[in-house]
Amino acid sequence: MPPHPLSRIRRAAQWGDVRSRGLGMIAYTLNRVTGLGLVVYLYLHLIVLSLLAGGPSSWDAFVQIARSPAFLVLDVILIAGWLIHGLNGLRVTLTGFGIGLRSQKVMFVVLMAVAVVALAAMAVMVFSA
Amino acid sequence: MTRELTLEIFRYKAGDAAPHFDTFRVSVPETANVLDAIEVVWAVHDRTLTFRHACHHASCGSCAVRVNRREKLPCITPVSDYANGRLTIEPLRNFPVVSDLVVDVSGFFQRMTASGLVITRTAETSLDGKPVKLAEGMSRYNRFEDCVECGICISACPTMAASDRFFGPAALAGIFRARQETSNRPDKVRLLELADGEHGVWRCHTGWECSDACPQAVNPAEAIMSLRRDLIVHRFKKLFGK
Amino acid sequence: MNSHNVFERRQSPSWGWFWQAFTGLGLVVLLALHMIAHHFVAEGGIRDYAGVAEYLRNPVIVLLEVLFLVTVTAHALLGVRAVLFDFGLSQRTERRISRALAVIGILTVGYGIWLTWTITQAI
Repeated sequence: MPPHPLSRIRRAAQWGDVRSRGLGMIAYTLNRVTGLGLVVYLYLHLIVLSLLAGGPSSWDAFVQIARSPAFLVLDVILIAGWLIHGLNGLRVTLTGFGIGLRSQKVMFVVLMAVAVVALAAMAVMVFSA
Repeated sequence: MTRELTLEIFRYKAGDAAPHFDTFRVSVPETANVLDAIEVVWAVHDRTLTFRHACHHASCGSCAVRVNRREKLPCITPVSDYANGRLTIEPLRNFPVVSDLVVDVSGFFQRMTASGLVITRTAETSLDGKPVKLAEGMSRYNRFEDCVECGICISACPTMAASDRFFGPAALAGIFRARQETSNRPDKVRLLELADGEHGVWRCHTGWECSDACPQAVNPAEAIMSLRRDLIVHRFKKLFGK
Repeated sequence: MNSHNVFERRQSPSWGWFWQAFTGLGLVVLLALHMIAHHFVAEGGIRDYAGVAEYLRNPVIVLLEVLFLVTVTAHALLGVRAVLFDFGLSQRTERRISRALAVIGILTVGYGIWLTWTITQAI
């Protein structure tokens, strides 16, 4: 049996390289990257919430940090993450059930445009709260 | 009119510790295709270069390689597509490399045969000598007209990259086609359940790369999603005892 | 590339994908509600302790938040499973991973319920 030129790890990570790949692959990689980022965020968020168990003194101290501009920037990045992941995810769900197969590329472009507009609107809301 | 090209070609021979790239400068006619350039390398510069080529007009699927990281049939890819004349030629992804640009496609052909469609190429000798066992009563159907069994979709597929056991876009599209070809209900159902297997349609990650890269517009992604739709309908009906 | 047993068929492997899709659709609604409740309705964009206390006074709200936690945890861990399953693992390893992730999921939801309970008891 001739050897595979790449190790198993490198083969599993092949989805990360989108050079010369089509729009469908870019969408797929985006969904994976945002998805993994959101998993990390989820557990960070759950851990931070434990401050609530410490009562007003510990939680309200955190709230001060959460209102700082640096934190707000992170919030906008987070919103971008779930907007992209969610809207593209809708497309993956539809096409994955065999619906809208012919228009999958158009769907991606339109949904990402919606994501950009929504992100801009929400960023404004975040910074003017 | 001629074109000057610089080809960086992937080289690997059995026993090598690791692959490497060799660079060649060739001169080809303006209207040449990439396969012509590879043949010039072999004819004039390095007779040890191993590559597949047969029909030279995209009906056999033998020559599939990656050019500048993109899967192509070099026999129909003009060199003029590469304005700066620099081409990196590598074998298909997700297949074991036998020698230089030649990959082991035996597993691929065993899957294609398993979907029950007659293919005009017989399966290549499996390098480990093991034959594949076909399911009992699997009939043979017409050839899958558009697919030239070139393996490009396998190379482009992100699931295939990671899992050797995924059935693959070509074979799944073959199952879809076989279902269209037969009016025999039990066969239709058997094929559908084959697609429902552990490494069937549900492993597809909806990357759409297979359809994008296919040189023959077979659209395997659409076939896979249509099979999913058929499976859902099938299960729904079974639930209500039909 | 061996053919292995190309006809190996077990219980349908699609359950992961279906639940991924359903939880995803559920999250479109639940995440929107969560975001609105905590960041767009809340004063200053984030609830302070008093705000959280007031929020959790309503049992329907508590139920929705727990439902949100279950849905998002399921969706997240199914996603991790999908990424891990791309490592060309044996069937046994895949089953172990599914079971391990299920345990992590239960622990995560358990933690969330415990935390909510602790807060509602303290207010």
